[in-house]
Amino acid sequence: MSQSTSAEHAHHWEVSWAPLVATFGALFLIPFAFSAYYVYEDTFLTVIFAGIGTPLMLAGIAKWVSEGITEKPLLEGVSPSGLPYFIVSEVFIFLGFFVSYWVIRLSAGNAWPPEGTPEINMFMPVIMTVILVASSITYHVAEEKYDHDDLEGFRKWLIISIGLGAIFLGCTIYEYGHLLHLGFGPSTNAYSTIFYTITGFHASHVVIGLGMFIAILIPALSGKTNKYFVFCAGVYWHFVDVIWFFVASQVYFW
Amino acid sequence: MSAESEKFNLSEWIFTTDHKRIGVMYLIGSIAAFGVAGIMAILIRIEQSSLGPTLADDALTAGQQYNEWLYFHGAAMILAFLIPGLTGFAANYFLPLMIGAADVAFPRINALSVWLFWCGIIVALLGFVIPDTPDIMWTGYPPYSILTGGNTAFYVFTVHLLGFASILGAVNFLVTVIYMRAPGMGWNQLNMFVWSTVTAFVIQLVFVPVLAAAVTMLLFDKYLGTHFFDPSAGGDVLLYQNLFWFYSHPAVYVILLPALGILYEVVATFSKNKIFNYKAGVYGGMWGVVLISGEVWVHHLYISGMPNWIRVGMMISTLLISLPVGLLAISLFGTLYKGAITFELPMKYAISCLFLFLIGGLTGIPLAITALDLHLSETSFIHAHFHYIMGIFATFSVFAAVYYWFPKMTGRMFNEKLGTIGFWLNFIGVNVTFLPLFKIGIDGMPRRYWNYEMFPQFETWHFVAMIGALLVAAGMLLTVSNWIISAFNGEPASDNPWKSKSLEWTHTVSPPGPGNFLKPVEVETDWTPYDYRK
Ligand code: HEM
Ligand SMILES: [Cu+2]
Repeated sequence: MSQSTSAEHAHHWEVSWAPLVATFGALFLIPFAFSAYYVYEDTFLTVIFAGIGTPLMLAGIAKWVSEGITEKPLLEGVSPSGLPYFIVSEVFIFLGFFVSYWVIRLSAGNAWPPEGTPEINMFMPVIMTVILVASSITYHVAEEKYDHDDLEGFRKWLIISIGLGAIFLGCTIYEYGHLLHLGFGPSTNAYSTIFYTITGFHASHVVIGLGMFIAILIPALSGKTNKYFVFCAGVYWHFVDVIWFFVASQVYFW
Repeated sequence: MSAESEKFNLSEWIFTTDHKRIGVMYLIGSIAAFGVAGIMAILIRIEQSSLGPTLADDALTAGQQYNEWLYFHGAAMILAFLIPGLTGFAANYFLPLMIGAADVAFPRINALSVWLFWCGIIVALLGFVIPDTPDIMWTGYPPYSILTGGNTAFYVFTVHLLGFASILGAVNFLVTVIYMRAPGMGWNQLNMFVWSTVTAFVIQLVFVPVLAAAVTMLLFDKYLGTHFFDPSAGGDVLLYQNLFWFYSHPAVYVILLPALGILYEVVATFSKNKIFNYKAGVYGGMWGVVLISGEVWVHHLYISGMPNWIRVGMMISTLLISLPVGLLAISLFGTLYKGAITFELPMKYAISCLFLFLIGGLTGIPLAITALDLHLSETSFIHAHFHYIMGIFATFSVFAAVYYWFPKMTGRMFNEKLGTIGFWLNFIGVNVTFLPLFKIGIDGMPRRYWNYEMFPQFETWHFVAMIGALLVAAGMLLTVSNWIISAFNGEPASDNPWKSKSLEWTHTVSPPGPGNFLKPVEVETDWTPYDYRK
């Protein structure tokens, strides 16, 4: 890691519109659209807010990625040092949910799963585990290819990883649909509360991980990559994978 | 090169990724939040200054609007003023300067943080535009927060936005301090303020996510019909209180530590002295606080129902906090010892903070003792306790910071006379407001009651408290207008008017330009930011 001298940067104020635009996109997409839909039950307003938020957020992210790939940062190669700290805080948010689960579960004693819980297919989480582990492996292969300057191979294995992640999400959607059909929704009982919250929160992390992969793939198609992006996305993906073991073992098999 | 010679360029400000400008944006946002939340405080004091409805014709409106004010006042003061003022503004502007870095490690993420913070303020303020203003206090306890007709979602999203801003800030600043210190700068040569920021951010990194999880469950319970906090369906209502305080007790240290860090800087500079017992203060005091901060939260639940053995255990762990806090106090007070003390305005605030710290800290002790707290809990005594420490001590430390670094940030001097009048109004005002609350709290005045017709004996003291609040309002108005006027019209200041030894004063101009330093900073092995012998 080398810190470039301040003199190089001393001539002008650094600017980027990406953070501002991405943040306001997120503001419309999440707090505003959620409130419009669930608090004020106004579908039209929801669509408007999501319609404003989505393009803003995508534009912000796209700009951010393109700057990150091309510009020389103040401190080269520091992102891999920052990611572990972020993961620490991710671990604690999952812990918040798991602890709540444990408290509810242990205070229920033998009355578990509570009334209203249908038979949950235990084959599904096994398949999903296999898929997610496989995607971690394929991404590892992609990184190997990348390290050997095999861009073609990197793209191929990256696309395979994205495909596996998408199948994982497909399984989640299928399972949710099936359970909802059986009348098991988030509000059914204490177990459904936990089930949808924890699996859903994990799935949102899969979405973020996939988003990172796609943000790497698009510039890679025209030959632009950044090794720290590639590395960080991988670490994040493995983290999401590890969390899944806890989700599967606690929520399905316990 | 000073910014003065440049033309003001709006897009260079709003798209900036420079830590100093981001710091200024944090300052503007947090002072705005402080202003609005301060108006709420005055309204609350006026409402309570007489029995029955004071600011409304009927009891229903009076109660409802009181709850809405109280909600905004508490949430905004803690989450949108103190935490971002200390860890957003002060850390952003001065930490990189103090360690001799050109910027933070992730400048774009830093810009993302400040905009998330602004969005948090926007959502909080929109709470007054929507018809169903949140009315759930800053604590948001269920079941009320779930059953209310108010918009709990806005509370949750405010917490999410500000929390996420803070987590990203934590990642950014921890990495910055670890990797970007000037060549030669060892751990024991860091400014106390740098250490206090590091420890505060360690707390944020670990505890904010738990609060985020808690309020997310609140959101789901209210709007998706889940049952986390619903005992009738197997949930647990005390779970929320536990998770909330698991974060929110450590949050008081996120405020306390940087506030102390600022005072160390001010006290050292105006006593021309080195830090007394630096290592005990840092490793015993600050890191000690971090270590114990996560084990004491249950003292906020003494009256919520729990077995006695937990009460006793938590009483002991809470009292243990006095050890690291005591170390910090000793090293802070010791720094004054045999110093060449002068009393410029920042120092006036700092000295008053030392006094306020004692009152706030010492009144925490009876609260920690379960037997006494069962009587004092949910009375105005609590109210006075945490206002001494947060509402006054920490707030005054932000003011000390703004005055102390004002010449650095603007290249100009503030108006000492105006500032001093403001200081005395503030100082007298806060004591007139909050000392009576200790008294009526001990006598049994319940906290968070808009009306207290059943206790007419407390009316006089409430009236006195309102007079105090009006004094503070005048003082704050003078203070903030002093900043605004002096920023544009003050006397030009030199680069180091206080003759400090810290890098932000010795190695760069006022205000610093892009890249901070004209040439890369390096320090000697025997350099310290408090080396006043030479
Ligand atoms: C030795 C130091 C301290 C001790 C022993 C202590 C103890 C306590 C206890 C036991 C309570 C709960 C009382 C109850 O609700 O029945 C309390 C409330 C509170 N304390 Fe402290 N405290 C200390 C320092 C601080 C500091 C440094 C801050 C802030 C910077 C602070 C802020 C608060 C707040 C905000 C509350 C009330 C929260 C609420 O209910 O809304 N305290 N304190
Ligand atoms: Cu506490």
